Amino acid sequence: MNTSPGIDGLIEGVIIGIQNELMPYLSNEKAQATAAMMQSILQGVRQLVPVYDACLIEEHNDMTKTLRVAAEQLHGVAGAEADRIRGRAVTVGQWSDLPTPPAAATVIGAHSELGRALEASISDLDVLQRAGGTGAAAADQALATIRTHLAPRYLRDFQTFSVAGGFLGRG
Amino acid sequence: MDDQLVQFLRRTFADADHVVIEELAVIPGGFSRETYRFDARVTRDGEEQLMPLILRKDPPAMASILKTSRQVEHDLIEAVRAHTTVPVSRSFGYEMDPTVFGEPAMIIQRMHGSGHTSDLFNEGSDADQVDDVIRHLCEMMAELHTTDVTKLNVGGQLSDPRGVGIDTTSWDTYMDSTFEYYISSYPSISYDPAAMVMLDAALTLRRNKPRPLPLVLVHGDFNPANFLYENGRVTALIDWENARVGDPREDLGWMVAMDGMSNTSVMSHPRDEGGFLAYYNKLTGWDITPEELGYFVLFGTSNISVPVVAAVKRRLDGEHQQFLHLYILQPSAATLVAFTQLLGYPGAPA
Repeated sequence: MNTSPGIDGLIEGVIIGIQNELMPYLSNEKAQATAAMMQSILQGVRQLVPVYDACLIEEHNDMTKTLRVAAEQLHGVAGAEADRIRGRAVTVGQWSDLPTPPAAATVIGAHSELGRALEASISDLDVLQRAGGTGAAAADQALATIRTHLAPRYLRDFQTFSVAGGFLGRG
Repeated sequence: MDDQLVQFLRRTFADADHVVIEELAVIPGGFSRETYRFDARVTRDGEEQLMPLILRKDPPAMASILKTSRQVEHDLIEAVRAHTTVPVSRSFGYEMDPTVFGEPAMIIQRMHGSGHTSDLFNEGSDADQVDDVIRHLCEMMAELHTTDVTKLNVGGQLSDPRGVGIDTTSWDTYMDSTFEYYISSYPSISYDPAAMVMLDAALTLRRNKPRPLPLVLVHGDFNPANFLYENGRVTALIDWENARVGDPREDLGWMVAMDGMSNTSVMSHPRDEGGFLAYYNKLTGWDITPEELGYFVLFGTSNISVPVVAAVKRRLDGEHQQFLHLYILQPSAATLVAFTQLLGYPGAPA
């Protein structure tokens, strides 16, 4: 996955593209309003993405606790409704807490730094390969190791990010 | 802009009594230049001539994908017209003063024929023409590549048109200086560590130089969108701005890469000749192997990638805000996978 641009950079780019390259050419007021609404939704998505997983997990963990506490507060209450609430407390209410994910900025920073380390290693290996001798054979192996790591990443990026249809806007 | 066009054409056609511009409109899809179509009605001695024309204008410098010269492009296409039968628009001149059209520009003939080349493929509306069109396209490329390069390289302007130290004294010096260009340019294109396959490609190319072929005039952006066609014939090869002296296999390699990115199949035609490479080999006698072609997919793609990805990096660094440069990242994902295939990455798709 790319960290530059990340998801935020891509969405921001679409917002700017709508502003600079579409809106000046929209003569219909309804279309202008729709474009502005699209920008608003996209800006909302930008705000959601960095906190989305953490919010879901926080709410997940709080919901299990809430189900348990609510059931406890019905102690001594009879009836089918109260039984169903107590039943939820001992089923889904017992689900384990999910771990809080690290902050996106932390993951992105570490990922980028590791990527730069691999990138620099490719340059260093090239020097060893061109020098020849036993070091070259070992460097060939080391490069193959890096390539083995990279191949499925590029394929996954393509499968995840690409949309069929080729290069739009050409012939 | 009409007034500027009239003044330009009045200078170009000094014998004209009257020039009128009509139907000026942007042409979508020109990725590296801003292109406009228009008609000029030129009156001489009471006789009016309708001239279909195109204005090719540089984009703002910061957003420019390929920084090339309209004057050099003018000289080249006029040389191609003079020394080959390759169909190409006539150039009516250039204006390098950016105050006239906003940026340097040139005016060329608008050729007839369809530019919707995707209609030739995937059961498109012109699929019945595909073998004939691609056969002609192959013949045009073979002719271009076998034309004496000294006739087309006017004033040596195409030996190193980017001014990056390319040495065309011999095939070896050309390749070696080009490797250095790719490798030294890497920091300017490394928008993300995930671009490292391009670095690996440049270093691997340098370690594995193939056999030499004569240096020729390469089109430089020979791809499935850069020609017009009509009735089974190519009516124009277009977008010559990246033309330069190089190895002929570069054009074929870039076509392979763009065929993949464009969801087309130029290289599979003409079918009765066994495909584009087989027919090209028959015409030129160069016996280029699929392995060599794979090498030049990487080499030719790298040549385009350096300026294109540098423009993408400038976009991501906030130096400009053109949307196209962001969009390029999406179809380019296929190219990076193709790089892993061609470099023989373990586990890369076959």
